[in-house]
Amino acid sequence: MNEGLYLEGMSLLDFARGPALRWAVIIFVIGIVWRLTALLLASRKQLEPTKGSATSGGIKTLLTRSAPAHELEKNIVFQHYSGYAWHIGMFVVLLFFAPHMLFFKDILGFGWPTLPNLFITFFSVVTVGILLVLLARRLMNPVLRQISTLDDYISWLIAFLPFLTGLMAFTHITFGMRYETVLALHFLSVCLLLVWFPFGKLMHAIFIWPSRYKVGAAFARRGVRA
Amino acid sequence: MSATTIPDYGTLGERAAAGLRPKALSDEQKVAKAKEAFLAGMTADMATYLESCIHCGMCAEACHFYIATGDAKYTPIFKVEPLKKVYRRELAPLRAFNRFVSRDITVEDLAEWKELAYDSCTQCGRCSLLCPMGIHIQSMIQVVRNGLSAAGMAPAELQAVADEQKDKGSILGAGADKLREVVERVRAKGIEVPLDKDKADVLVLSSALDFLKDETILAATAKVMNKLGVNWTIRSDGYESANFGALSGDRVAQKRISKRVIDAAIAAGAKKVIVAECGHAYPVLRWEAATLYGKELPFEFLSVAEYLGQELKAGRLKVKKAGNGASHVTFHDPCKLGRMGGSFDEARDVLRALGVKLTEMESHGRTNLCCGGGGGVAMLKSALPLRQKAFELKREEVERTGAPTVVTACNTCMQNLETGKAWLNWDKDIVNLVQLVSDNLA
Repeated sequence: MNEGLYLEGMSLLDFARGPALRWAVIIFVIGIVWRLTALLLASRKQLEPTKGSATSGGIKTLLTRSAPAHELEKNIVFQHYSGYAWHIGMFVVLLFFAPHMLFFKDILGFGWPTLPNLFITFFSVVTVGILLVLLARRLMNPVLRQISTLDDYISWLIAFLPFLTGLMAFTHITFGMRYETVLALHFLSVCLLLVWFPFGKLMHAIFIWPSRYKVGAAFARRGVRA
Repeated sequence: MSATTIPDYGTLGERAAAGLRPKALSDEQKVAKAKEAFLAGMTADMATYLESCIHCGMCAEACHFYIATGDAKYTPIFKVEPLKKVYRRELAPLRAFNRFVSRDITVEDLAEWKELAYDSCTQCGRCSLLCPMGIHIQSMIQVVRNGLSAAGMAPAELQAVADEQKDKGSILGAGADKLREVVERVRAKGIEVPLDKDKADVLVLSSALDFLKDETILAATAKVMNKLGVNWTIRSDGYESANFGALSGDRVAQKRISKRVIDAAIAAGAKKVIVAECGHAYPVLRWEAATLYGKELPFEFLSVAEYLGQELKAGRLKVKKAGNGASHVTFHDPCKLGRMGGSFDEARDVLRALGVKLTEMESHGRTNLCCGGGGGVAMLKSALPLRQKAFELKREEVERTGAPTVVTACNTCMQNLETGKAWLNWDKDIVNLVQLVSDNLA
């Protein structure tokens, strides 16, 4: 075994889960706070008497928008359910894979039950499959192609890489790289995700809440359930 | 049942367009004016929406123009692309980076988006109900229209009327004189119209679009108001419901036009202002006028349908079972009254009181499919082929109800349904609510 490479692999892993991850988390948090503050411009006050409470309408829409009305939903069945499948798959793998839980336990101080590896493998493969299908769809569907930006593709790649490197590490299909190197790449891909998160489309995970609230409030003010 | 008495909006549009005095702006000035208007409309809400879009394209599936054609350019969020571009380069947190990787909007972009912001958007708001992120696309379209209008690039049909209405208060030459003439014709039928009363509890609005052809709608409204026995008036200094400032996107015109109505209502000491059965007029007055005016108003705006519903509930409006063929109907929710206005039940309560069988279309209430003519689109000659395609969706939904009669409470919808009827040689009767009530007062 080449000792130099071994040491290099170890140091890359140390870097990845040490300073790289720490800085990534810092950028992640500061970035989110910055982008949210940038939106805290004064909202325009509206002077018309309302037909309903904007606040409660806004809060309701946070949840109700997760399932659109039937007449609207019937045309978007694929997007709707593939979106759900991808997000659920991602969270299952992120939270219920034993090594992931242990990693969080190290930070948080408490753990939770995890799923057997067989399930995790299933979810990972399905999730990666959905990501690939969604990318193909974005490249081929005329509606999506015309509204897609560089950010969509960068964000796709950045969401895909942790799955790719994670599956490589998990299955030990490493294309000749040392396991530790693959693991380090896995950590680095997560760092990349955290750093990119506040600046690109991934930020939708945060923006979805003020946006849904605002649309819910705008309709509720007029007495319409959004 | 009688055909509509509303003039053909397409013909009106053509007449109007011929009178446009174009703004003399260079291409650079056009782009600068458009950007200025885009930025002025970029509120915190707008910025949140612009940041939230995940480019999923789901909104396309809510839009009647996309569903009817399958053409990707009719994807609602794509219709606000110039706004997105300006936001990314001028206001977004990453604007320095975005300026580096994107190009500025050009006058060609604006010209291209004219079709998308006007011809292919009735501002019906259906996409805003489907977007998983909760983006209020309809309100963003209005900002795009504001920009195009500021650049002198709004459709001639709408801008010409906006200019006329802003400066003279008339629409296609029909002003206060025309109103007086129509009122005389209603009086000649034996129906009293209290024109220009100094003080009245209820100010009733009309629209030149209603009375340009004849006096039928005004007569029906007056008959109902007289029967209710309220102290009402129509004022020649503020009778116009329609607001071509809002339709064209001319914000200055919109403000001045709605101020006329507000001033007239205040002068009359009115407690209620009844907006004629005119689609966009209701949300523009009910949901935007006070904010533009800068003060809370001492009266309330009600649509005709809302007012009739309230009076019915209070026991003051009494109707008999509707005869005249209207025994089985379906109700077409005008987008601007329903989804954008919050009035769904009142019209249905009135129909119930009239004893008609109501069969709902699959998309009704808040998810109603637009007739394809709202937001000024009915007046645009260039939008005609697209409008005909979108109308097909409405026709199919109406057909499936099996009802021989379509009732609606908006004259644009009414006019569009009538036009559709002519295109298709359709055997449906199209009736507006106030006419139905007026014909069946107990």
